[in-house]
Amino acid sequence: MADHAPHSATPESFEVRILRQDGPGQPSYWERHRVNYEPDMNVISVLQKIAARPVTADGKKVTPVAWDCNCLEEVCGACTMVVNGRVRQSCSAIVDRLLEEQPDGIELQPMTKFPVIRDLMVDRSRLFRALTKIQGWVGVDGYYDLGPGPKQSQAAQELRYPLSECMSCGCCLDACPQYGKIELEQREGESEADFERRKSAAYDRSFIGAHAISQVVYFNADPIGKMTAANRLDALTAEGGIQVCGNAQNCVAVCPKSIPLTTSIARAGRAATIHRIKRFFDR
Amino acid sequence: MTDATSSFWGRHEFLIRRLHSLTGLIPVGAYMVVHLVTNASVLDGPGKFQAAVYQIHTLGAVLPLVEWVFIFLPIIFHGVIGLFITAEMLPNNASYGYTSNFRYTMQRVTGLIAFAFIAYHVFHMHGWFHAEWWHENVSGRLGGANFRPYNAASSAALALQSPIALLIYVVGVLACVYHLANGLWSMGVTWGLWTTPNAMRRALTGCAAFGILLAVVSMGSLYGMYTVKIDEARETEARMMEARLRDGLITQEEVNIKSAPADNHTNAAADDAAESTKF
Amino acid sequence: MAKQRVMIIGGGLAGLSAAMKLAELDINVDLMSLTPVKRSHSVCAQGGINSVNEVTRQSGDDEWKHFDDSVYGGDFLQHQPPVKEMAYWAPKIIELLDRLGVPFNRTVEGYLDRRRFGGTLYKRTAFAGATTGQQILYALDEQVRRWTAAGKITKYEFWDFLGPIIDANGVCRGCVGQNLFDMEIRAFPADAVIVASGGPGLIYGRSTMSMACNGSAASRCFQAGAKYGNGEFIQVHPTAIPGADKLRLMSESARGEGGRVWVPRTPQDPRDPRSIPQNERYYFLEERYPKYGNLVPRDIATREIFDICVNEGLSVERDRLCVYLDLTHIARHELDRKLGGILEIYEKFQGIDPREHPMKIFPAVHYSMGGLWANYHRSADGGLEPGSPANQATNINGLYAIGECDYQYHGANRLGANSLLSCIFAGLFVGPCIENHMKSLAGGSAADQPASLYTNAVKHHQDRHDELLRRPGGKENPYLIHQELGDVMTRYATVVRYNNQLHDAYQKVSELHERAKHCSLSDTGQWTNQNVVFTKALLDMFPLAKTIVKGALQRDECRGAHYKPDFEMPGITATDEAGRQKQAEEWCDRFEHNNRTWLKSTIAWWNEEEPVLSYEDVDTSLIPPRPRLYGIVGGEMIEKVWKERQSKKKEAASGHADDNGGHARKTAASVAAN
Repeated sequence: MADHAPHSATPESFEVRILRQDGPGQPSYWERHRVNYEPDMNVISVLQKIAARPVTADGKKVTPVAWDCNCLEEVCGACTMVVNGRVRQSCSAIVDRLLEEQPDGIELQPMTKFPVIRDLMVDRSRLFRALTKIQGWVGVDGYYDLGPGPKQSQAAQELRYPLSECMSCGCCLDACPQYGKIELEQREGESEADFERRKSAAYDRSFIGAHAISQVVYFNADPIGKMTAANRLDALTAEGGIQVCGNAQNCVAVCPKSIPLTTSIARAGRAATIHRIKRFFDR
Repeated sequence: MTDATSSFWGRHEFLIRRLHSLTGLIPVGAYMVVHLVTNASVLDGPGKFQAAVYQIHTLGAVLPLVEWVFIFLPIIFHGVIGLFITAEMLPNNASYGYTSNFRYTMQRVTGLIAFAFIAYHVFHMHGWFHAEWWHENVSGRLGGANFRPYNAASSAALALQSPIALLIYVVGVLACVYHLANGLWSMGVTWGLWTTPNAMRRALTGCAAFGILLAVVSMGSLYGMYTVKIDEARETEARMMEARLRDGLITQEEVNIKSAPADNHTNAAADDAAESTKF
Repeated sequence: MAKQRVMIIGGGLAGLSAAMKLAELDINVDLMSLTPVKRSHSVCAQGGINSVNEVTRQSGDDEWKHFDDSVYGGDFLQHQPPVKEMAYWAPKIIELLDRLGVPFNRTVEGYLDRRRFGGTLYKRTAFAGATTGQQILYALDEQVRRWTAAGKITKYEFWDFLGPIIDANGVCRGCVGQNLFDMEIRAFPADAVIVASGGPGLIYGRSTMSMACNGSAASRCFQAGAKYGNGEFIQVHPTAIPGADKLRLMSESARGEGGRVWVPRTPQDPRDPRSIPQNERYYFLEERYPKYGNLVPRDIATREIFDICVNEGLSVERDRLCVYLDLTHIARHELDRKLGGILEIYEKFQGIDPREHPMKIFPAVHYSMGGLWANYHRSADGGLEPGSPANQATNINGLYAIGECDYQYHGANRLGANSLLSCIFAGLFVGPCIENHMKSLAGGSAADQPASLYTNAVKHHQDRHDELLRRPGGKENPYLIHQELGDVMTRYATVVRYNNQLHDAYQKVSELHERAKHCSLSDTGQWTNQNVVFTKALLDMFPLAKTIVKGALQRDECRGAHYKPDFEMPGITATDEAGRQKQAEEWCDRFEHNNRTWLKSTIAWWNEEEPVLSYEDVDTSLIPPRPRLYGIVGGEMIEKVWKERQSKKKEAASGHADDNGGHARKTAASVAAN
């Protein structure tokens, strides 16, 4: 396969260091693996190889590493993890590039802002909870045929389309210095439903993050969604809302879909202020 | 949707943070600009600076009210809320070395420095409180309350002669300048003044220019203060004081409180400073 | 009677649209999915969604033509009433999606913009950038989130469907699911179960499908007694980027914009492709099809690339099948302008700039036309009877199938931009059908059934699970068996099919199946054990793999995506008019004969070891089958002869009743029996 890599000489094998954790609340530990180099590898194929032969670099048999993935084309948002210290989609994390970045091997860690379920698998339900909090939907009357929606300008579509590409991967949250990890444990005697309620309440009080702010802009720009814009702005200015943003702007830098998150934040910030002033004086 | 158990902070978080953002510019930032520019007038001679101070003191009895409402309370509010905001940060500059992320962390670091510096500065110059017993027993003894409005330049200059004090002022003032300039940029994003990456870049250039200008002004004023010729300044100040006494613009009582004792510039601090400048 | 519930398996376009429609009908819904529903495979659909619209209508288009294009594209293997109903619903569905906030591209005046897609003359396809599937999925996901917040829908994400629960009377009363974190196995009583679990791409190892598309849900229904239809019809996309983990779609526009397909004449030439001189390059499409060159239709491109690599052994790489798709002769700025986004995908995943280096591509399994057999209730006008419990029903009472895992809509090949439509249509349409099914349900609701029905079902699956975990180590490795299965399936049951190869492939798949039964696990824990979940899915791939291979083996013809060179009908070779006429007549005779034998749905049953195949007539009463003549030599002559025959037939038949309504009557009868 001589024609392959236009880059420098490739190694025969390389080291992969994985931060593993057997379950929630358990200690985490590093594990070293050696993987044979092949062309066109990405982190997913590395993990697939380790799953097929789960033996560490020291020859110790271990369980396969747990991780989350689905589409492998960077549109589903499942396979987010911290690769070489930076949060990203592991499907588009190409081994050749990673080894250029850090020739002594590849380092895989779970996302840092979400509770670890096992190994590289985390619980991102808080992220989806934020979409419920901001009422991230168009409140149509129903699904019967009521004719077409309102006409929309090309400019309006071009504003909304990039925002709609958000795949809820959570990169913007993991890189955000204002977004803290919330990990709750079920109390003794607490029912599943009560625990869920307590979690939701804790999530709702904490920062919603760039993705949800951007979704408010998205829905409030929709001609039908606009009709309930005030509800979303109320949610956006509630506790843990847009005001928590500190403008570090890591979100936009790490977003794998290049969504203009900071533009959304600025637009939402403007709308939120006007909304609250109006609400105060119209009361 | 949310539990009704939200705290006061939770219920008013948006308002509190927006006020925090606003007070950073108006009045705190605006005041800081005026303050620095006024101080820089010392470069034109101590008399110029003294005139500016008299201008401010024409407010008379209203001055403390103005100071508290438009300066101290906003600064305390901005500072204390700022401490809470800083407490929640999770800096990650090692992993995400973007300049915006660096500026974010620096905004908080300079905020902390500014908080400490302003506390020091107000103590150093004004002793925090003007009550006599406090001055005699606390602020005066601890090396604070050095500023004398009717000997504005000379008393400030004397207070700055200590290299430690000077260093604190250089670092503190620069931190304040950064905090204001970058805060201005950040505020523009928060309030939706500049929204697109291009607009943000342009705004950043503008804020950086403003910051550099302000840094020059502030360093200029520090330099000006530090290099005031104290004896000459005293003479000028004395002349101005007498003229104002004569015209009845100020009273002897005020002079007693707001001017330096006659032999003040030979006090220990000044001696130390004089010695240290020999090195 | 306790409040009734519906369980939906799968949260792609079909599952989500069914969920929101049922919620609107005030029915409580449970929704089980391997992944958070927002990450379902529907996100990958790039192209768009078809419907007749005002512009095409005024250019002579109508719903009937959309219907016609769909059955013609599917080589007439679909029952026509569901397809007709779908085509007539299409404009309404797009209007609904528009209201739901899907950011479709717009015209200057603000209407929905449309593009032309393969297989039609009209600009029917509405699209949202290059991510239409993602945008539509999100709009439906949002509606489901709204109903979830309102308490009408309960989502069970990260749950694996283990199988339907069927009572002694053969009625589906719910399903068993397993939590992918704590591995809890639990029964979900339900008064109807809708399977909307998508395609089975993982059977082919790597395909363009997502990792959740393992076909296990459909297979578990199949093994529980549901019929599987047209399994052998698998759509292959000619140009995909062969990655180590999956095959990613490379849009056909790369060829459209001048891309040249070639291989080195020396097998596995180790040189840098750019240094290989022109005369040592084999531009096989240009040489074999001088007229079309690199722009041959999809299926031909697919077959030729496959032939070059598999039969001629000229693959660029030794260990992997691929050919060059070369754009390097085109100016950089030109490429950026016309193909920017697409080339970025290649660059992102391959780490190689396709403006400087030829891309490597190979065909990839893309879509399964086959799936769980589903019924329909034909209406008087040849469409579907709205609200009839027979629509979308499998042969198990109370078990329904919609979306890609249902065999009904695409026949032998799927028309581009019809897949999103079929998923949403079936999901919305099935709502009132389920409502009526539940009203007519005998023997009480699921909640009234004896507890033993559910505890026994859970025990069955718990035992299977525990047995797997208890196995001693050191036996077969499920991941390696999966690779082997994928290799066999890709090699022999994809593009070009030969009976001897299929025969061998069936043997190999059976052997692998036996070996898979002896897999041992590298993880025997009870927390987030992906190893055991994968092994179970692998075991359930074999019934479908066998059905695909056996169906392909038995079907001795070429139809749609199923291509057997040994049974290809040659074009016209004669040069004189009489000879051409005669050959065309013969061709048409053979075509009609072939349809009498093979214009039938392949229906598979599972008998615990093997699929048992039978063939069912297809309702072609609305549009009589006609030959597909793309690219056949002498096609115009065949068409002429065919048209003459048809007009003669019409004359003869005028006044007679349509004799093709048998299926419909049968269906109506089965509905009455419910």
